[in-house]
Amino acid sequence: MKQQRLLLPYVTSKGWLYAAALLAIALGNIIQSLYPRVLGEFTDKLQSRSLTPEIIAQSALLLAGIAVLFTCLAGSGQYLVMRLGREFERLTRKQLFRHFTRLSEAYYASHGVGHMLSYVLSDVKSVREAISSCFSQTANAVILLISALIMMKVSGLPLGLITLCVSPLLLIPVLVVYFGPRIRKRSREVQNDLAAMTESAEEQIGGMRVTQKFSVEPMMEARFGSHVDEVYSSQLSLVKMSSLFQALIPFLGSVSLVLTLVAGGYQALTGAITIGMFVSLTLYMRLIINPLQMIGNVINTMQRSRASLERLQELLSTRPDIRNAADPLPFPAEAGIVIKGLTYSYPGAAQPALQDIELQIRQGWTTGLIGRTGSGKTTLAKLLLRMMEAPEGAILIDGLDIRGIDVHSLRDSIAYVPQDGFLFSTTLRDNIAFAKRDADQQEVEEASRYAGIYENILEFKDGFSTKLGERGVTLSGGQRQRTSLARGLIKQAPLLILDDSVSAVDAVTESAIVASIRQVRRNKTTLIIAHRISALKHADEIIVLDEGRIVQRGTHESLLQEQGLYAELASLQQGGMGHGRTGA
Amino acid sequence: MAGQEPENRAKQDREKAGQSAAIRGLLVYAKPHKRQFVGVVGCTIIAIAADLLQPYIVKIAIDDHLMNGSKEFSPLLLLGGLYLLLSLLSLLFSYIQNQLIQIAGQGIVMQLRKDLFRHLSRLSPSFYDRMSSGGLVTHISGDTETVSQFFTQVCLSLVRDGMTLAFILFFMFQLDPVLAGYSLLLLPAIALIAALFRGYMRKTYQLSRSRLSRLIAFTAENLSGMNLVQAFHQEREQVKQFEDRNSSYYEANLREIRTNVLFNRSFDLLGNLSVAFVTWIGGRAVYGEGLEFGVLYAFITYIRQFFQPINSITQQWNTLQAASVSADRIWRLFKTNSELADKGVTTIGQDGDPRRAVGAVRFNDVVFGYTPEEPVLQGISLDIEPGQRIGIVGTTGAGKSSLISLLCRFYDTQRGSVTIDGVDVRQIPLVQLRRAVGLVQQEPYLFSGSIIDNVRLFDSSISPEQVREACRFVGADALVGRLPDGYETLLSEKGSGLSAGERQLISFARIVVFRPSILILDEATANLDSSTEQMVQQALNSVSVGRTTFVIAHRISTVMDADRIIVLRSGRIAESGSHSELMRRGGYYARLYAHSQGEQEEQPAG
Repeated sequence: MKQQRLLLPYVTSKGWLYAAALLAIALGNIIQSLYPRVLGEFTDKLQSRSLTPEIIAQSALLLAGIAVLFTCLAGSGQYLVMRLGREFERLTRKQLFRHFTRLSEAYYASHGVGHMLSYVLSDVKSVREAISSCFSQTANAVILLISALIMMKVSGLPLGLITLCVSPLLLIPVLVVYFGPRIRKRSREVQNDLAAMTESAEEQIGGMRVTQKFSVEPMMEARFGSHVDEVYSSQLSLVKMSSLFQALIPFLGSVSLVLTLVAGGYQALTGAITIGMFVSLTLYMRLIINPLQMIGNVINTMQRSRASLERLQELLSTRPDIRNAADPLPFPAEAGIVIKGLTYSYPGAAQPALQDIELQIRQGWTTGLIGRTGSGKTTLAKLLLRMMEAPEGAILIDGLDIRGIDVHSLRDSIAYVPQDGFLFSTTLRDNIAFAKRDADQQEVEEASRYAGIYENILEFKDGFSTKLGERGVTLSGGQRQRTSLARGLIKQAPLLILDDSVSAVDAVTESAIVASIRQVRRNKTTLIIAHRISALKHADEIIVLDEGRIVQRGTHESLLQEQGLYAELASLQQGGMGHGRTGA
Repeated sequence: MAGQEPENRAKQDREKAGQSAAIRGLLVYAKPHKRQFVGVVGCTIIAIAADLLQPYIVKIAIDDHLMNGSKEFSPLLLLGGLYLLLSLLSLLFSYIQNQLIQIAGQGIVMQLRKDLFRHLSRLSPSFYDRMSSGGLVTHISGDTETVSQFFTQVCLSLVRDGMTLAFILFFMFQLDPVLAGYSLLLLPAIALIAALFRGYMRKTYQLSRSRLSRLIAFTAENLSGMNLVQAFHQEREQVKQFEDRNSSYYEANLREIRTNVLFNRSFDLLGNLSVAFVTWIGGRAVYGEGLEFGVLYAFITYIRQFFQPINSITQQWNTLQAASVSADRIWRLFKTNSELADKGVTTIGQDGDPRRAVGAVRFNDVVFGYTPEEPVLQGISLDIEPGQRIGIVGTTGAGKSSLISLLCRFYDTQRGSVTIDGVDVRQIPLVQLRRAVGLVQQEPYLFSGSIIDNVRLFDSSISPEQVREACRFVGADALVGRLPDGYETLLSEKGSGLSAGERQLISFARIVVFRPSILILDEATANLDSSTEQMVQQALNSVSVGRTTFVIAHRISTVMDADRIIVLRSGRIAESGSHSELMRRGGYYARLYAHSQGEQEEQPAG
């Protein structure tokens, strides 16, 4: 599989800006490397007693000029690089989110939201840090080193002396190469232990009720505690390594300065160099030590973010598993569906969720699908929406294999109302007009009337502009379901799938809603999935599912006459209200 | 995402107060590590000495040896040796200092995590009803990690950089009080820059934080609702909305970058300009022979050095903010108390062993609701003799599960009381009560661990032999035998490879091992197919012998052989009696039974 590349195309596309940033940083550092020289000459003039107040003022002004120029140039270079980093972050996030919208149910089932969020948050951030701070720090260090070396040479310092003084600093890469992988290995252990601890916390909080019920809190605390202890010890083992590294790097800098003092001082004593040159040498060394010390961090950050970059590229290269066929057909004119010998198993499941389903959802009919939790009702709905892929030839719409139909055209033609009534944290209006954003107020109101939520919405202070979610109003389960129903109805799609859509609605409201749905959906194909009989007893045909198989089919009346699951459910649900008696 | 709150003014003030309380709370955790912190301060002094003394040593070299024309090399060598020694000490003590701060910081986090988990495991079910588990996990792992940065980064920087600053000032005054006096002019300039930027930086930081949390909230919500986005073919629209938030976060980032670059660079500029200024002032002094050149040299170096610690302290600002927000969140959790007061002292059972309680249960006119306005149970009175098997039937929402939640004391009643052996459950210590009452739910929960540990729930006082015996007793032995590693097979909540029925058998074995005197089976067989149900049913019968047992079920066959069947409707007891009594009555129950009979005859054909 070809890996999608992220970084190189971006950097190439911003080539000019990067070049400008590099130029600004380079000029800034070249100018900065003049400063020890100014002070060195100042010292020599002092030594040779040729110092005058004018020269003093001149030197001071020169230093001030260097200060201003360096700050402006280096500052703008740094700003440019950081800005480019943030832009990379923005573009990559957008790319990721778009990719997420293409991944299917199967991906979402196996990857938690937290896991996917970490791509958007930490991985993107870590790559950004590498390309912004590492870029400017490396550029800084390299350019400063080169220009300082040149300046030292130009000001007449002997090459041997320079080499001697700089040599300890050249050990920095050696240290990095030695410590880098070891530190990374230990920091990976820390990450793994942290992940294990998080997982354990997740598991234990999920099972908290069991823990509390059996009163085994101390054992569970010990279990969690052992993970915490592991994090502690791996953190400390990491610290042993990393703090040695962090202490050694400045030590090399100090050794450089010791050599400068001794060797430079010796040459100054013997007159091989002037005192001014000695002064500028010590200042040069101090100037280049800092950026070179940074290189250690740079290399480590880069390696850390390389892992993130790879993760991102891998994610972006996963191909969505539900794709259009080579030549997709639009959704056919008639929404009559035939299901032939459909068997579907979730990956890794021992038993199929649906088995040998033979079913016809006739054009213009209302078909009911009833069964207990886990009987496979929702699986069927998801297969019809191609959230999951049915076997070839198992589902035909107006004679066409569902797999040959354009996914978007298919989904545009189906209004799906799921049980959970998931709503977004935006206004009620935006939630209802979700699939039809340009819907006018009248359409929104009409849909909400049919869904039996209109009156409730008017009761809110802001009516349809009421915001939902954390910062807004919290709706009850029934209100959420009805809003979600309005969202489905406004679509006026050729096929409507109600997946236990009114399960949290009270009986009176439910019957009103059922009546209005019957009215709106007259002569339109509708599939009602429910575990409550009252929601679908009016259907033209009712299919009874149990453990993934169709066990009964017929109309409400005919099914009540039969003894079986349907009659049992009817009696359980309507017992005492006079509906279920016929079955007894 | 939990904890990503919008930021507004009123809240900010409250947060500020909460944060300072939280930081104070953290100090309690820091206290046991007092010696390490003192050690850190001590080590820091030596660790920074080499870097600080370098300009001074060079000054001595220049003034005493180079400038005065002496040709002797040995003093220079001595100075070099001294400096090397200092550097070695600095290497050693930086290392020790780093170790100490990490030992303290990680130790604090370790304790914090353990305490937080212990605290969470003491909180009542109503707390877990309200909180998302994802949010809690973030608090335990993420927020504690951020807090540790407070110690390992912020504290370290304050000690190290603060001391560096103080020492630089000290050396400057030692070298030349007049020049040092001039340099003091820098302090108000630094303060002015910091004051000018501080408010603005805070604002930009908060702006980008709040835009980031908006972006995260949007992304998290869309990821959870992605099936809807896709089902409604709204990918493009949502990408557009994502891009709005993404761009506004980007804008905030740019503002933050601008502010930060300006801020850091103005310190830089100030530092470099002071070098020029010192050269001018000092140069004139040297010219007038009032000052040795080495002093001027050291001064210039110190002035440049002065800005490094200031920069690194200001860089800790964001970490400090993040840490105080996290500390505040953790503190709020610690302040959450369980809604169930565990003050009871009355023991039940023989010799105070709750597992040997008699098992007489009474509900006295119990009224209960999850919110006071909507009572789920509306005056339930029940008297259950020890050892009886009680079936509870009723439709969804009739209050079956609420009834047994009160017996387990997951919640407290609003009116009336529940008693076991004549003792109000509120008077029984929770540990005792929970050992006395066993519960098997519809969804058995497996922990990651071996079968043995899953049965005995990691309680090593229960021997593996007892676990095996329990498994044989409930008929799980054969199933365990089929697993690759037998009783040592590792299970986990996700993907244990066991079917629903097999998982349920494991949870029955738990009951056998823990031997509660009262047993509740809450729809324990609802998720099972008919063949597994048969197997589980047998296990269930063996388990319930000699125990007061409550069986909640929607299938009549599960409860029909109970000593007494309670039929619940809308939070009240509609009918109660044995199967035959209820059948004779010919009421609701009788109808249910007739249908279930029908189902069983019909099923082979369907």
